[in-house]
Amino acid sequence: MEGTGTIVRTRWRARLVRAFFVAVLLAQSVLILRSYDDPHNFFGFQPFNESSTWRADIVRVTADGSRIPIDEPWPSDGDRYDWNDLVGWRVVQHPERTKHAYSGLDASLDFLDEALDWVADHTPDDTETRYLEADVTGFRNTRGPDERVLRSDEREEAR
Amino acid sequence: MTAQDTAPLRRRGLIAPHTFEDVFDVPGSIRAMAVLRIVLAPVVVVHLWPFLVDTLDGVSYLDHFNEPWFTFLPQAPAGAQVALIWTGVAGAVAMGLGWHTRLAAPLTTVCVAGNFFLSQRHFRHNRAFLIFLLVAVALSDSGRILSLDARRRRSDGVGPPDDRATLWPLWLLRIMASSVYLASGISKLIDPDWAGGLVLWDRAVRHQHLVATRVPEPIAGWVVDLVTQRWVHAVTSPLAVAMEVCIGVGLWFGRTRIAAVWVAVLFHLSIELSASVEVFSLAAVAALAIWATPSTRDRRVVVSDDAMAGRIRRLDWLARFDVRVDPGAAAEPHGVEVHDRDGSTLHGREALQMVRSRLPLTFFIVAPRNRWR
Repeated sequence: MEGTGTIVRTRWRARLVRAFFVAVLLAQSVLILRSYDDPHNFFGFQPFNESSTWRADIVRVTADGSRIPIDEPWPSDGDRYDWNDLVGWRVVQHPERTKHAYSGLDASLDFLDEALDWVADHTPDDTETRYLEADVTGFRNTRGPDERVLRSDEREEAR
Repeated sequence: MTAQDTAPLRRRGLIAPHTFEDVFDVPGSIRAMAVLRIVLAPVVVVHLWPFLVDTLDGVSYLDHFNEPWFTFLPQAPAGAQVALIWTGVAGAVAMGLGWHTRLAAPLTTVCVAGNFFLSQRHFRHNRAFLIFLLVAVALSDSGRILSLDARRRRSDGVGPPDDRATLWPLWLLRIMASSVYLASGISKLIDPDWAGGLVLWDRAVRHQHLVATRVPEPIAGWVVDLVTQRWVHAVTSPLAVAMEVCIGVGLWFGRTRIAAVWVAVLFHLSIELSASVEVFSLAAVAALAIWATPSTRDRRVVVSDDAMAGRIRRLDWLARFDVRVDPGAAAEPHGVEVHDRDGSTLHGREALQMVRSRLPLTFFIVAPRNRWR
């Protein structure tokens, strides 16, 4: 290639490229530091961070206060609702089995909490469940138990 | 844009541009990015394949539990995911072939990133790393070489391809890639459970049944006995942490770069054997190409016969060598002589080792015997 020895850009383009370069590095630094305060460590590049486990008993709490395990019949017009089919993701499927905490205990339980909300919001044929509740037992790197109760949003359909 | 040769780099010390302006203004070979582009094409297809199968079954991310990244935005319809997946796969094929690379590479990047950001469920550290790689390839002018674009330009009479272009995407990717090793290593270093071996030991104990699926008897029993010993992980965990930190730092210095690349290959092979990390291993090993000096054919190899010259040319994917045939080289031991970029000349076995240590396929086996020079 013939030329003067350097890459020539218009002034605005040169500034744009430099600004982009610096912005990406700043964003990467912020994301890595922020990940220490994030249960999921998103963009923190902390793979295989824990060897934690958890299990949960999930029940449907109905308008009359009954607590019905999710593996018992679940009211619906068509196909029977099924927790594992609804969530469709091994990380939160089969909560009754003790399982590896994907991306760490906090990340798994945060996803479980969000999954409770999602399922509560995507079972329109169920008119008896007020909310879903999970009694969780976790072990962080063999230590524990760490017991928590997670609850979905209240459902309009059962009011 | 005009360009000339890359400024001389400090060979043994810190590998960095002399000034911040040099990052943007000094051109160099983008062949490493072209090689990375070619490898990333099948990586992207494999990555998108499960999503593509789901679209064929009429399943989208909306049909199961999903968690939006940005709750203030409306969720994209299922059709948008279908478009992203199929366009991404087509874009990846075009990107790999180097067909309209300036369009195909950014398009592939947008599709992979778009699918990634549909739901937090799609997050994996290895997928975030893949997006880094794709962004860097999309920003570089890697279609200049090893592409149908370059072939078309040649057939149009534009002349032989010039592999020099702006290098700032390469520098950016180098910083990002090393930061990934350092972030991972440092996070483990400051975690007593990790650095002390508890995390790996407990993981090994709970997954010991998987050994039998990967290792034949009677070795499997012996392996299980070994990997479930607590003391083994008290030794290997600090080593794993040290590997990551050493890779992240060592890649930046001429004196340690080759060793760091070799350790990185070993590191990724060990991860591939012991964990499920999707396409990370292949992408990460391919990304090590970016640490090659961004200049091409600045070492001259003189060999005695056409067959040996052909073998070197076929395996020299990063164009490290200007290969010449001189029957007179037959007088050299092993019929090979290397004129290195610093002006020194290597003969015989030493020259052969130098050549093999710079060819991607033989690097891992030969590099340790070459004393990391």
